[in-house]
Amino acid sequence: MNALPLLSTLPWLPWLRFAWLNTLRNRRRSLVTVTIAALGTAAILIASGFAQSTYRGLAESAARTTGHLVIAHAAQFDGDEDVPLQHGLSGADALTRQLLADPQVRQVLPRVEFSGLISNGDKSTVMTAVGIAPDAEFAVKGPFLTVKSGRVLAGQERDTVMLGAGLARSLKADAGSALTLLVSTTAGALNARDVLVAGVVTTGIAEIDQRLVYTDVATAQSLLVTDKVSSLGVFLDRMDATLPARDRLQPALGTLAVRTWEEQAPFYRSVRALYNRIFGALGLIIGVIVVFVVTNAMAMAVIERTREIGTLRALGTLPGQLVRSLALEGLVLGGAGGLLGALIAVAVSVGLLLFPVQMPPPPGRTVGYPLVIDLHPSLCAATLLGMLALVMLASALVARKTVRRPVVEALAHV
Amino acid sequence: MNTAAAPVIELRGVRKTYRLGTHTVPALQGVDLRVTAGEMVALTGPSGSGKSTILNLAGLIDAPDAGEVRLRGATVDARAEHAATLLRRDTIGFVFQGFNLIPVMTVAENVDYPLFLAGLPSAERRTRVAAMLDAVGLTEHARHRPDALSGGQRQRVAIARALVKRPALVIADEPTASLDSHTAEQMLDLMRDLGHREGASFLIATHDGRLTRRCDRVIALLDGVIQS
Repeated sequence: MNALPLLSTLPWLPWLRFAWLNTLRNRRRSLVTVTIAALGTAAILIASGFAQSTYRGLAESAARTTGHLVIAHAAQFDGDEDVPLQHGLSGADALTRQLLADPQVRQVLPRVEFSGLISNGDKSTVMTAVGIAPDAEFAVKGPFLTVKSGRVLAGQERDTVMLGAGLARSLKADAGSALTLLVSTTAGALNARDVLVAGVVTTGIAEIDQRLVYTDVATAQSLLVTDKVSSLGVFLDRMDATLPARDRLQPALGTLAVRTWEEQAPFYRSVRALYNRIFGALGLIIGVIVVFVVTNAMAMAVIERTREIGTLRALGTLPGQLVRSLALEGLVLGGAGGLLGALIAVAVSVGLLLFPVQMPPPPGRTVGYPLVIDLHPSLCAATLLGMLALVMLASALVARKTVRRPVVEALAHV
Repeated sequence: MNTAAAPVIELRGVRKTYRLGTHTVPALQGVDLRVTAGEMVALTGPSGSGKSTILNLAGLIDAPDAGEVRLRGATVDARAEHAATLLRRDTIGFVFQGFNLIPVMTVAENVDYPLFLAGLPSAERRTRVAAMLDAVGLTEHARHRPDALSGGQRQRVAIARALVKRPALVIADEPTASLDSHTAEQMLDLMRDLGHREGASFLIATHDGRLTRRCDRVIALLDGVIQS
């Protein structure tokens, strides 16, 4: 008789086994429930993964544009200047050397921001110009601009510029064209300089391309008659080093302000806030639908088994044991659906890597972006655990009423 | 106290009224009843006479409106759900008219379930279940599910489930009603033999004359009152 199949002595196993066997009693209903739980989980994971990849893309883009940290006088960040570089930084070279001494600082890039007019002799228009250290800038940032024609700036070149595509079109300029920059100097006088167009580029944002001029720092300083820079962009070895680096560097910089890329990226913050609301609401709706479906399936199962529940109660099963067993049944349904949903989401995520899908350009942009679903294990685990907790709770609540029903009534149920 | 003479279950002046909408139906009107150890007592009477109500009260799955239910000398309040459940688990076996086996469990698991609930060691459970299946002649069907059994076999599983925990009292509600004549007589003999062997008392509601003839005592009920 050693092979006699008795119930396991492990505390949870018999109840889990009953739960599993009970879900198989009405296979079609269980299949529908599992399918809806799977689709709900997959939808939540795919939407969350899309939001995560968007946040990551925007964060990397923002950090690449400004640097992980931006160092300037506090007033520089307000943007109110009577004359160019009124709040600019002096001694940028010494400060750069000091910052590069930090082990996590990969590069420090100066920026000279100014505005003025740009002319082709026949037509003048407003420009928003940036003086950069070209070699270091392109080495650190990689191909952050798309070159439409010509080439990017080279390190030792002077009096050359890159134009935004919209501005180049407006001025009928292309690589090799000669233009004139006209600005107000730091002393308030007018100054002009002839420059050669090295290339035409696009940032992907049409409004920026309408005004954008890149030149080198020396040309910009010469034009503005100053040795100051607007700010220093500090590039770190990784994104998550940003806050520790800020806290470490700030005390050594005296009155200078240190801002993180996120503080300098209002677009990132607003997109994140918007997506959090949209996908949060979406997740909530999907969660409610899944809970309703599982609750409905469990309610039907419990009602159908009222007499059986009465029998189990008569035999001496405690209400808590039955509620636990029925909650486990919800867990089996929700767990199977959740795991299947996670597999679907992983398959979609991998599928998009193997067969890329290009998204259309967002509002205000001229180029699209690849659709990527970032599925972190923590995101999958949190979604699954949340789903399991919800369906278990819903199942337990549904079961509780029937289990607490008087045994005589339950046994008489037809 | 002489335990041999002490009643296993005793109902004293028990009254029970059911409400059906605006109507009230008196099910029991002051019933006194005692079942002593090892005794097999049949309750007879027409439908609505109060047989099932007495079984419910004696089985601690319902509570009287008035009067007292005493199990092995101690007053029991079936409204105290937790305590009543544990008493049922440890002391009372049930045999239902419709067998009420758990369909997802095998025959052996159905019989094992009361022992599992009571938390008995697995070796003892194994011994008892094997012996009980042997006694009801279902050893070969241990791994079968109830839906693979005949009505008689199912009722034998139900009897094995009721007796495997060696209860002081077995409550049986029309245990032969779903069985053919030959199978019913087999069941009755089985219950009586096993009951004697395990020392259980029986309180059985029945219309079946063959069953009442095998009982030690027959109590006739009419309109919630004991007639004889």
